[in-house]
Amino acid sequence: MINLSEIKRKYVIPGELIAQGSYGIRGNMLKIGDKIYATRIGMAEVSTDTIRLISLNGSYMPRLDDIVVGKVINFNAFGWQVDIKSWFPAFLPAANVMGRDYSSSRDSLASQLTIGDQLLAAIAGYDRTRDPMLSISGPGLGKIAEGNTIKVSPSKVPRVIGKKGAMINAIESGSGCRLSIGQNGIIVMVGSADSITKATSALNLIESEAHSPGLTQKVHDILSLGDKR
Amino acid sequence: MVAAKRPILESLRRDHIIELLGKGQRVDGRKLTEQRKLTIETNVIEKASGSARVSLGDTEVIAGIKIELGTPFPDTPDKAILIVNAEILPIASPQHEPGPPDEEVIELSRVVDRGIRESEMIDLSKLVIIPGQKVYAVFIDISVINLDGNLIEACSIAAATALATAKMKSHELSPSGEFKQLEDIVPLPTNRLPVSITVAKIGESLLVDPSMDEESVMDARLTLTTDDDGNFCAGQKGEPGGFSIEEVLQVSEHALASGKEVRELMKKVIEGAKEGKETS
Amino acid sequence: MTKLIDSAGLRNDGRKLNELRPIKLEVGILKNADGSAYIEMGKNKIIAAVYGPKEVHPRHLVRPDRAIVKCRYHMASFSTDTRKNPAPSRRETEISKIIRQSLEPSLILEDYPRTAIHIWVEVLQSDGGSRCAGVTAASLALADAGINMRDIVASCAAGKVDGKVVLDLDNIEDMEGETDMPVAIMPNIGDVTLFQMDGIMSPAEFKEAFELAITGCQEIYKLQKQALFTKYFGTDQPQVQEGE
Repeated sequence: MINLSEIKRKYVIPGELIAQGSYGIRGNMLKIGDKIYATRIGMAEVSTDTIRLISLNGSYMPRLDDIVVGKVINFNAFGWQVDIKSWFPAFLPAANVMGRDYSSSRDSLASQLTIGDQLLAAIAGYDRTRDPMLSISGPGLGKIAEGNTIKVSPSKVPRVIGKKGAMINAIESGSGCRLSIGQNGIIVMVGSADSITKATSALNLIESEAHSPGLTQKVHDILSLGDKR
Repeated sequence: MVAAKRPILESLRRDHIIELLGKGQRVDGRKLTEQRKLTIETNVIEKASGSARVSLGDTEVIAGIKIELGTPFPDTPDKAILIVNAEILPIASPQHEPGPPDEEVIELSRVVDRGIRESEMIDLSKLVIIPGQKVYAVFIDISVINLDGNLIEACSIAAATALATAKMKSHELSPSGEFKQLEDIVPLPTNRLPVSITVAKIGESLLVDPSMDEESVMDARLTLTTDDDGNFCAGQKGEPGGFSIEEVLQVSEHALASGKEVRELMKKVIEGAKEGKETS
Repeated sequence: MTKLIDSAGLRNDGRKLNELRPIKLEVGILKNADGSAYIEMGKNKIIAAVYGPKEVHPRHLVRPDRAIVKCRYHMASFSTDTRKNPAPSRRETEISKIIRQSLEPSLILEDYPRTAIHIWVEVLQSDGGSRCAGVTAASLALADAGINMRDIVASCAAGKVDGKVVLDLDNIEDMEGETDMPVAIMPNIGDVTLFQMDGIMSPAEFKEAFELAITGCQEIYKLQKQALFTKYFGTDQPQVQEGE
């Protein structure tokens, strides 16, 4: 059991030595001998036997089973190419959407999902040799029919969710909007135009001031100001 | 539909833009006739004869003026040279890579040129040194640093402000026609301030100063340049859609009124530059 | 031939022999770029931006084991004393390569197989040492983009002017001095990733200039660190934090 008071936190930039000794490492770091260096800008948490580096920036790196929000940018007979704001576009196989017996006529693909459509999907496969694979066979996944989306840095997603969902709950109740969060930093907002505007302000605030103390209070303020109209 | 290098616009975002327009609103809260925040800074590049940095919302451009000596074009021996060259730098957007100018950038350069040249902001005949032999060449180079729509307007404002605050070395011609450049600095003589205003059409709505997302939805755009006397001196319609006759006249009225406001801001900045201040 | 160092040992802009020009660094100044930084170093004004990791185009350049790096150093037509033709010059092409090779060692390219990382260095105003300033800014832009890096890269030039070894040559010194030596290092690792030299120097002068350039790089690294801290941690002083 980790004694919380024994965690030392340190701001680091790439190249800085975080600690020396036998530690397990979680996150973007380089271990050379028993020296551990940061490879990103972030906050390093050093406990007795592990170091964790929380990066404060960076693009989304797909992980199996992550839920992401994507935009269709192309399609062919076999499926759709989906921009998930990562290093590569993802691929959604036609068979996943239309069943194994689908006929590869382009019209039927376009009628399901066409260029510009957005969807909530799960990362079904990803490795170093090929583009990530998506699946929409899961509860709540599929084409996003209404609302709007906003992008935040993927590193801010934990902040948007908050401890045990505290932040996202506050934004939902304060704005009147329903939110679905993609691990790739794209957030779906469903609700009236006004509620989307409020949610957008709150999310923009989190994006720009994630490191400020008292952020939670600022977000509450920005949401209740709207209510007073 | 936009053929230029832009990301594919999400259908939901497109629908949101159109839904709000139906109520006379825009995604960023602006009115249909409202321009984004415009800031103008002069003398940002001290080595240039004149320069201006303009931000229009998140669109950011820098114009720099270089005044050099040149030989006039054979068909205009009594006119100085004026060249406008715009570049969308690869830093400005993920869709832009280094390379020769494409049709978007060439149109941008030529429309900015037209506004400056046709308004006769600079009297090119006054910058001739020896007719047919030696003239001044005024280069207006514009770099787009961040792209978020309405480049024509941002680049035009930057180019005109940079010109209006440009300085050059004076010269003298000896009786025998020998040219001598002097060291004292004089302002580049300009006598007018053309302002280009762009209006986009989306469905039945006309909106001013389109952002990049709005440009992705727009059917057509119309840019009109007006001068200090209230005359029109250049115009350009772009994108495959059409404007009705009434709409063109509506846009022209707006271009005149909005042009006046923008000109006031530019004048303030230009006066401030003359007194040694450099920002709006 | 103007005398570049006066009898008091001061240079044409009043600096001492081992003094850097005033430097201003700002991180994350562009909305669209994945990472960006702005530098003023004397009269140099340069923006560096990074896009990536992203797909490789054209496809035949793709590497299955690591990212490829594309880098362009480009000067605006209004950036120099005489207007520069917009077409890429041989000098810009060489410097693009030099800058790329000074930054590549700092990037953990194996973490990004099959991708490309684009580095754009745009010189808005140039006044000697622009390639060094470009490297300094580009390294911050890479960190701002969240690319895994072994270290930051700091860059500075030294040289010889009027027979004296000096730090951070400006344009006049570069044109009329005897030697120019741009250098870049990864300050924590200690590797030199950029080294160029033109002119004549004795072995003693070479050593002195090189060591002076390294000192300059270390000074610049402190400023780079401050710029990153200001942007990301809201303070320019590193500190150990217990709360939140």
